[in-house]
Amino acid sequence: MRRRCPSWLLSLIGIVVTAAFLFPLYWMIITSLKPEGEIFRSPVTWVPHSFYFESYTEQLTGSSYNILNGFRNSAIIAFGSLAIATLLAIPASYGLGRFRIPGKSMLLLLFLVTQMLPSSLILTPLFIQFKHMGLIGPNYWSTILANATIGIPFSVVTLRTYFAGLPKELEESATIDGCGAIRTFLRIMLPLALPGVAVAMVFSFLFAWGDLIYGMTFISKESMRPITSGIYTFLGFQSTSWNNTMAFGTVSIIPVVLIFIFVQRYIVSGLTNGAVKG
Amino acid sequence: MLNRRQKMTGYLLVLPALLYMLFFVAYPIIDNLRLGFLDVSVMNVSHGEQPFVGFVNYKDLFAESVLVTSIFNTLIYTVACIVLQFIIGLAFAMLFNRPFRLAQRLRGLVMISWLLPATITAMMYKFMFGAGNIVNDVLSRLHLIRDQIDWLIAPIPAMITLIIANTWIGIPFNMMLLTTGLMTIPKDIYESASIDGANACNRFFRITLPLLRPAIYSLLVLGFIYTFKVFELVLIATHGGPVNATQMMSTYAYKLSFELFKFSHGAAAANIMFLILLFVGVIYLRMVRKEERSGL
Repeated sequence: MRRRCPSWLLSLIGIVVTAAFLFPLYWMIITSLKPEGEIFRSPVTWVPHSFYFESYTEQLTGSSYNILNGFRNSAIIAFGSLAIATLLAIPASYGLGRFRIPGKSMLLLLFLVTQMLPSSLILTPLFIQFKHMGLIGPNYWSTILANATIGIPFSVVTLRTYFAGLPKELEESATIDGCGAIRTFLRIMLPLALPGVAVAMVFSFLFAWGDLIYGMTFISKESMRPITSGIYTFLGFQSTSWNNTMAFGTVSIIPVVLIFIFVQRYIVSGLTNGAVKG
Repeated sequence: MLNRRQKMTGYLLVLPALLYMLFFVAYPIIDNLRLGFLDVSVMNVSHGEQPFVGFVNYKDLFAESVLVTSIFNTLIYTVACIVLQFIIGLAFAMLFNRPFRLAQRLRGLVMISWLLPATITAMMYKFMFGAGNIVNDVLSRLHLIRDQIDWLIAPIPAMITLIIANTWIGIPFNMMLLTTGLMTIPKDIYESASIDGANACNRFFRITLPLLRPAIYSLLVLGFIYTFKVFELVLIATHGGPVNATQMMSTYAYKLSFELFKFSHGAAAANIMFLILLFVGVIYLRMVRKEERSGL
């Protein structure tokens, strides 16, 4: 017989481990709520003596780079990339998942490989390419287009397993009932694959939301850059205002945390599908 | 006839996404190879002559010690991260694989670190190890250190900081893949081993690890590829410093192109990075084939 730890002890260990693991997040949020003087007090204070919200309110209005502005830029970039990635990945994954086409595994491998390539690898040629296209400057296009290249392969690989897993009989009975290929897809296949589409969309959004390298390289106007770029700028100053920076960081993870709360159970399956299989 | 139409429809559906990736990923990679042999700087990037210079850019890079340092740093960093992530990830996977009520929920919470933008993670670690000083504070209270460590100012501690930060990001990924691996191991193997008198240590090394082998292989390679491409973390937390002690291949390529505006040198550095990744990719594919052939 295997000796068993009592369940309550395992729960306790689990909670302590998780809490310790997530401590950096707690520390960021707590620091954003401390006044400047308290941040550097020694010994450190684990809970602020008084909650101080000025790091947030100060940056909501005015100043050269305010939180709302960065948040809006990141949202434009993330939703733009999400739209491109989803529109292109749904048909592609449907084609790869449900049609017998020669060279299918080669195509899949191609998508899989492109997903793994580092952004820094193609940054220079992409910059030059966009410059020739007139897209380097005060606009979001180049950043949106570049970030979609991360979302597309992930979505294709994830969604393909969803489409491939749907029963063949569904398609056949739809054809017998007189549905054309497009109607079969829109009315029957797509609704069934919606959980997969949700995962793909969430990840396309998150990849673009976390982007720094493209936004900071391609967008020439500081006030149009994403929130991550604002943090980079903040940290570059000689004397960083840490509570402000932490407030920035806290705001920028709001979408991540919200997404996490709502679609957590899909994320796990999406991650293992997209990353390993193919 | 129908079959042919089927094929055509299939290809047409894949085509838009494929063209997009060819145009924005494959073409830049090939263009990068060309760029590495030209002399392109801020002067002639959009118009003007771009002279062919052969291997001069590569010679320049190897003549400066920074490139070699950055290759060395990237490899050390990658290997250290993979090992740490794997060990801690496996421990997490085994803990949350035990049957207790909160297991799934807590495992889900741990995933957050993997989903956060790397910029945010870098910022948090920069603060904890640097200005915020909480790491030193805790270590000295536990009497583990006598003098404060200048985590981000001294070369080796700066590298350690980055390794810790990246391990934090990578643990959930390792945990998830290993969890799926653990779930495929039949429970009765453990039970019969226990009856035969195998202790916990034996069970771990004789059953768990060998049966996780396929998961471990893909983890090592995926881990290598995902860790090797580190960029944001380094740029934000140390900016490659102090004096290139944490300069990685990606940050060096970026610096060459977009801080020094030597575009073709940046392209050349990126090409070297590409070669290393290609090498690892080929090894992986061979490994997968061998594994398939041996029937595992």
